[in-house]
Parts: sequence; C-alpha cells; structure tokens
Amino acid sequence: MTYITGLAHEETITHDVLVVGAGLAGSWAAMTASQQGVRDIGVLSKLHPLRSHSGAAQGGIAAALNNVRPVADSGSRGPLEPVPPGDEPPDSWELHMFDTIKGSDWLGDQDAIELMVRQAPEIIYEYERMGCVFSRLADGRIAQRRFGGHSMPRANYAADYTGHVLLHTIHEQALKQGVTFYSEWYCMDLVVEDNVCRGLVALDVVSGKLHLMRAKAVVFATGGYGRAWKITSNATANTGDGVAIAYNAGVPLMDMEFVQFHPTGLYGKGILMSEACRGEGGYLRNKSGERFMERYAPDKMELAPRDLVSRSEQTEIEEGRGVGADGQGVFLDLTHLGAEKIMQRLPQVHELALDFTGVDIIEAPVPIQPTAHYSMGGIPTDARCQVLADAANTPVVGFYAAGECACVSVHGANRLGTNSLLDASVFGRQAGTAVAEFVLGGAPMQPVDGDPVARNKARIARYVNGRTAHNPQPVTPIAAELKETMTKNVGVFRQQARLQTALHTIKELQDRFADVQIMDKGARFNTDLLAALETEHLLTFSEVIVVSALARTESRGAHFRTDYNKRDDEKWLKHTLAHKDGPHAPRLSYKDVTIFYDRFPPQERKY
Amino acid sequence: MAKNGQTQNVTIRVQRFNPDVDAKPYLASYEIEATADTTLLDALEQIKATLDGSLTFRRSCRHAICGSCAMNVNGRNMLVCNRRVNALLDRRGRVTIRPLPYLPIIKDLVVDRTSFWEQYLRVKPWLIPPENGAAPAGEYRVLPAEVEALKMAETCIMCGACYSACQVVAMNKQYIGPHALLKAFLRVLDPRDAAPAERLEIVGGDDGVFRCHTIFNCIDACPKGLDPTFAIETLRKLAQKRLAFAAERVERQKSLGTGRDA
Repeated sequence: MTYITGLAHEETITHDVLVVGAGLAGSWAAMTASQQGVRDIGVLSKLHPLRSHSGAAQGGIAAALNNVRPVADSGSRGPLEPVPPGDEPPDSWELHMFDTIKGSDWLGDQDAIELMVRQAPEIIYEYERMGCVFSRLADGRIAQRRFGGHSMPRANYAADYTGHVLLHTIHEQALKQGVTFYSEWYCMDLVVEDNVCRGLVALDVVSGKLHLMRAKAVVFATGGYGRAWKITSNATANTGDGVAIAYNAGVPLMDMEFVQFHPTGLYGKGILMSEACRGEGGYLRNKSGERFMERYAPDKMELAPRDLVSRSEQTEIEEGRGVGADGQGVFLDLTHLGAEKIMQRLPQVHELALDFTGVDIIEAPVPIQPTAHYSMGGIPTDARCQVLADAANTPVVGFYAAGECACVSVHGANRLGTNSLLDASVFGRQAGTAVAEFVLGGAPMQPVDGDPVARNKARIARYVNGRTAHNPQPVTPIAAELKETMTKNVGVFRQQARLQTALHTIKELQDRFADVQIMDKGARFNTDLLAALETEHLLTFSEVIVVSALARTESRGAHFRTDYNKRDDEKWLKHTLAHKDGPHAPRLSYKDVTIFYDRFPPQERKY
Repeated sequence: MAKNGQTQNVTIRVQRFNPDVDAKPYLASYEIEATADTTLLDALEQIKATLDGSLTFRRSCRHAICGSCAMNVNGRNMLVCNRRVNALLDRRGRVTIRPLPYLPIIKDLVVDRTSFWEQYLRVKPWLIPPENGAAPAGEYRVLPAEVEALKMAETCIMCGACYSACQVVAMNKQYIGPHALLKAFLRVLDPRDAAPAERLEIVGGDDGVFRCHTIFNCIDACPKGLDPTFAIETLRKLAQKRLAFAAERVERQKSLGTGRDA
C-alpha cells in the first residue's frame, strides 16, 4: 500500500509481476493477481494512478442486469420502466453478445465477446461489493439507460461520471490489497529476447533516473492512442506508448486501422459530451434544425452505433449543412429534456459545455463534431490476455495485455458505447488471473542480456543533445503536423490518395524527428523529454495505422473507404497484423476472425 | 475583450523554480496571444511549445476530471484546464500562476503531494464490506436518497486544491485534511460499508475533524463545487455518537440484499 516516486539512485528493481498502466485494466490485473496469491506486484503509471483516462468515461458500463425495460410498444427511443421482480427478464447475455458482434461489423472474435458478456453482470456486482456508487432506481436497484447499438437498456451508470467512480473504487481496492504503485514512472522500453519477456526500462519522472525493472510477467494496460489526432476526446497521456513499445520489441499490432470517432465531441475542442446525452433522449440537428439521422438510421436514429452516427454527421458537414464558424459541426440538442433530468443525469456534460463553449445545454443546442475517441486495435492477445507473436498464435512468454492497448478482439471494427469499461474490467481481471497462474505455476525470473538501460540512456542523450549541431528540430511542431494530417486524412472518411498523403507526411516527420532536440536539459521532472518520447511513439504507430488502412480495401465499422465503400467478407473478414520489419514499412499478415457460424454468422449491418 | 476568433496579447506570469539550478522561486513573464476560448492550460502549453520547453506543469484530461492541474491563479486555487484566460486578467492584463501553496515544489508548477496521499491512505479510502456471509451475493439495494447523500463526495477528483488552501494543513501536516475527510465521509455514509465505528475513531481523533477551524477555504477552492466543510461537520456529529451509528449500520445491512436473491 504505497506510492513510490523519485528514487534517489538508479537500481535494478524486481517484482513477480509488473503492470504498466493504472486505469481500470491495470488496477483490475494487479488487484486480481494479488487476491490470487501473488505477493510481489508493482504497478507503473506515467501519471498518478487516479489521473488515468478510465476516469474520463462518462455514460456507463454494459451488463444485462435486467433492472429496467422499454415500456411496451413505445418504440426504440421510448420511455423505460423498472422490471417488476419475478417478471420475465427482457435482456440476456446472448442479446448483448449479438449487439456487440453486430456493432463490431463481425470483426470481433466471438469467443472473447462471449466471455466478456457472460461475465458482465458479475463484474457489476463486484463493483457493487467494492463500494462503487451507482445511480439507483426507486427500489434501490442499479439504474440503467439506453446506449447506441444496444437493443436493450443495459448501460449501468453513475450519473455521467461512471468511469470516475469505477476508477477510484478499483484503485482503492488495489491499495487495500497491498499493491505497490510507482507513481509518475514512464515505461520506455520492453525487454523481449527469444520471444520471452524479461522486464522493462522505466524513467522515474521526478528524479529523471532510469531503472531496469525485471519481472516474471509483465502486463501492459497502457490505454489508447487517440492523441495522434488533433480533434480528440483523449487525455494528453493517451499517446499509445504501450502499443509502440510492444511493436518496437517485435510484437505485431492488430487491426490498428480501426479507430472510433465519437459523434459528440465539443466543437473545435473534441472534449467528450457523453453518448448518454443521446441515451437520455438528445437529438442531433443540422443547420436547418433537421434531425438528419432520419436519413441514415430511420429506426435507431441518434442511438445508432458511433461509426454510423459520425459518418452521418460528417456527410451533413461535407454537404454544407454543418454549423459553427467553419461549418465543421452539427448541433446536439438537449433542450427538450428539461433542467431536472439534465442536472440529475448529465451534470458533468452540462458543466463542460458551459465551461468550454459558454452554452447552457438546458437553454440551447451545443455545437459538436466527431472526435477521435477509441482505439479498437492494439496488441494482439487471446482471451486470457496472453500476448500473441503471430497469426499462428505463438505466445510471447510472460507478456500480457488488457484494456484499450490490447486487441483481444471484442470490439472488432467498431466498439459499442459502455463496452469499453466492461472490456477493461473483465480482461483486466482475466490478465490478473492468467499472470497469477503463470507465476504461481513456477515461472522463473528470466535473465536479461546486454544493457537495456544504457540503450535508453543513449536515446535520451540524443534528444537532449540533438543528433547534429545544425538544424535541431523542436518536438511540438512535429507532433502538431502529425495530428493535423491524421485528422485531415485519416478520419471518418478515408480514401487512397489521402491516406498516401498522410503516409508521406509521417515519413517526412519521422526524418525530421531524427534531428529532434529538446529545450529542457535537466533530469528533474522533464516533461519536454516525455513529449519527445511520446511523439516518437505517435510517429511509430501512426505509420502502422495508415499502412494497415491503405491495405484494407473495403469499408467495415469505423474504417470507411470512400473508394471501397462496401464491406467485403470474401476478402477482408480477417484481422490485420502489422509486424515491424527493421527500418522498412510494416509487414502485414492476416489472421482469421473467430466466428461461431452456427450461432452468429455474418449478416448485413443495418440500424 | 477578445471576441471569438479574435486574439489579444496577454501577459502570463508564472512562478518558476528548479531546485537543481535556482536559489529560490522567481516570477517569469510571458507574452502570448489569447482568444476568448483560450484556457489557462492552453496558455501554459503555448508557452512551453514556443517560448520555453523547460516550463513544467502537470496536466492530462484537460476537462476537469483527472485532477492533475490544480494550481494557484491570482491567489486562488483552481484547475487551469477549465478556466479561461480572459476571465482572469487583472487590471494590467495579466494572469499570475503559482504552484499550489504550502506544498514542497518539485519543479515550477509541480508540487510534491506526498503528505496529501499519505492522509488519503490514512483514512482507508477503500470500502470495507460486511464480514463473509453477511454480504449479499448479487446486487445490493441502495436507496436513491442514500446515493444522493454520497454524491457530494463521490465526484471528488483528488486534485489537492482544497488541501493546499486549508490554513490548518498549512500549519500542521498531521491534520488529515479536507480531501481525506471528504473520502471518509463517503465511506462512513455508505450503507454498504461495515466499518463506520473504526472510521469515526480515526477522523474523530487528534488529527481529524475537530481540528477544522471552519474557515471554508476548502469550499472556495473546490473546482467541483463540493463542500468538505459540510462533510466535516457531519462527521463531527457522527463521531459523538459513534457506537450508536455503528449499531444502526448493522441494522441497515440486514436489508442490503436484493429482492431477487432473497
């Protein structure tokens, strides 16, 4: 039960298990491994654990608890009522499973999805036992609301700060278990030799010291990579460090072209306005005030899945029906919900809109736009969170991944809202169980050859001193240009020429980055250095995203190609794996999707 | 005053201090261009990107939920991510940003929150469930009114704005502090928690609620509009009837189970 920060001396640190990242997935992994008997667990977080981005999740966590149901014959957006005790449960894990598979555009692996939805109710009850403060029905049961792409109201929530209460709850329980947290420690390299993970190299941010950290097993729970875009809902910390580090260590990256754009980011800022706004009955309108979703998803309307809603918004915008100074937004209209409902169920988004745009959502519609939000792709794992080295599912021994940095894959080509908190919780727990079995089963501490710390010291020295004395490049403009090109060319709609433009720009930026020189030369809390390391990681995985997107000549889920605008199951019902190939472009291979053809065969996806 | 899109020149004064280099903290002035939308955090990012890359501050979510960026602005503690520059300009068109007061400075605007987290750990922030067998297997029944009472504490983001505004903390680092007392309040009031007596003993002790001078700085500083003083007042009353309150909790937990499991 400690936070370790600012060690005075450089040293080699050993733990049975090291977890990188302290959001929901990392905290679940650490807590579970500890409960199952692993005594010596260290968790690294580049921020204090309670700053993790899981805490920014708003609308809810999915589970078929069967506490509420739609009022009969009131349509897919009608009122809800409590399910009287003893009545037939309207929802089931099977329905949740189908909705998730359909949401994924059949790219999700059905074995992993089944595991997740079957464990969902029990995960909510675990949170209940740990003291998570959910919103409640009048009789004391957990309240539920509708969410996009879910055929039943199964979003369990705490007003519109669900992630915040889950994160604080699980962090507290991990502390109670006696887990050691390395707070503000940045993992900058992973040590993998002969397909066996041996540990990592970490930068203790406060002191600037580098440490070799050895472990029998390493779990990555490092979060997503939305910071590669200019307009994003993601925190500044979400720079995809884990995926880039794994890739550099020889692990392939899976389905990186699938990035979710959330339909309701605050205009010009990208800050999230929860999908709960629409779950509670909010409308989307174009500049003529028209509820344009009628044209795109006549049944589900605003509660269609996020990929479809974002495309609909972008179509309105590109056809000249957008709002805002440059016409790049549409309106989110909540004015008909009334002050009471808004203040009770959506207090956070009310405050966000007021603080960042000056709009009181009780009185007026607020301009919003699609914002880079969630990374479906990531480090390939099986359902036990074991990281996989190739399409033949060869394990990387001792290396596990869970949550947004991992690709297990439960979200396939498009994630449904409220399934990410569930994914992070369920698979964080799975990872904890798996590493406990691995370690308690006698896994040895593996030797480390060479000097990985020296290698990373040289990397830092290169940033501090610059490669050459002339033409040193500052970090920020490189990151800014990358984000600009990703937002412009690798967004909701994609096509070959624009993807190639992006790839060309990324290559150029990588060249410029070789001459980067930072302004802050000191060791102590050097955030200039962190920005350089993060930007290097952004440039690494952004290339993988674009190369994977260029190759996939079809449209599926969040990956929409205007030049190949149909889903093509014959050619593309498969996962992308991108392998690092020395200094060359990533080498792509492909892997089958796990589909239960007898139960959930591919169908046309309509809402 | 700048309208949307228009820029104006503003002066951001920032307290700088790198203990490895500087003898003592000093104020540095930076001229930047701000629009009506520019937040204090945007301003700091702009200074760091264009004027001095060594300027050091914490931030992450940039929408007031992660708690990283509490600082002292024009003498008041606040988050810098959700406040606009042009609303905080003084008569000379300046904003002054300092680190949270009364805490050791690591570098520039980054403070050492060690004592803050130690007090947080001291109140055992985790829920302590009923003993084995007494806890329902599935969902609990918690009434909306009971949840409503917790709302005031559950949205605390542990930013430290209240802690570093507290005059009692300033003089006595043994004091548990408003953030941890608010967390204790959350657990004491939660019908699912089985340890109210133990908690009330901690917060009712020498370093707890009776140290509060009700100066209300914590309320003024809280960026989430919470009321730690109310929590402290409540805990004071409950601490006086600790055992009776614990007995009520035991009774309450008898009906914690769900209708469906019963």
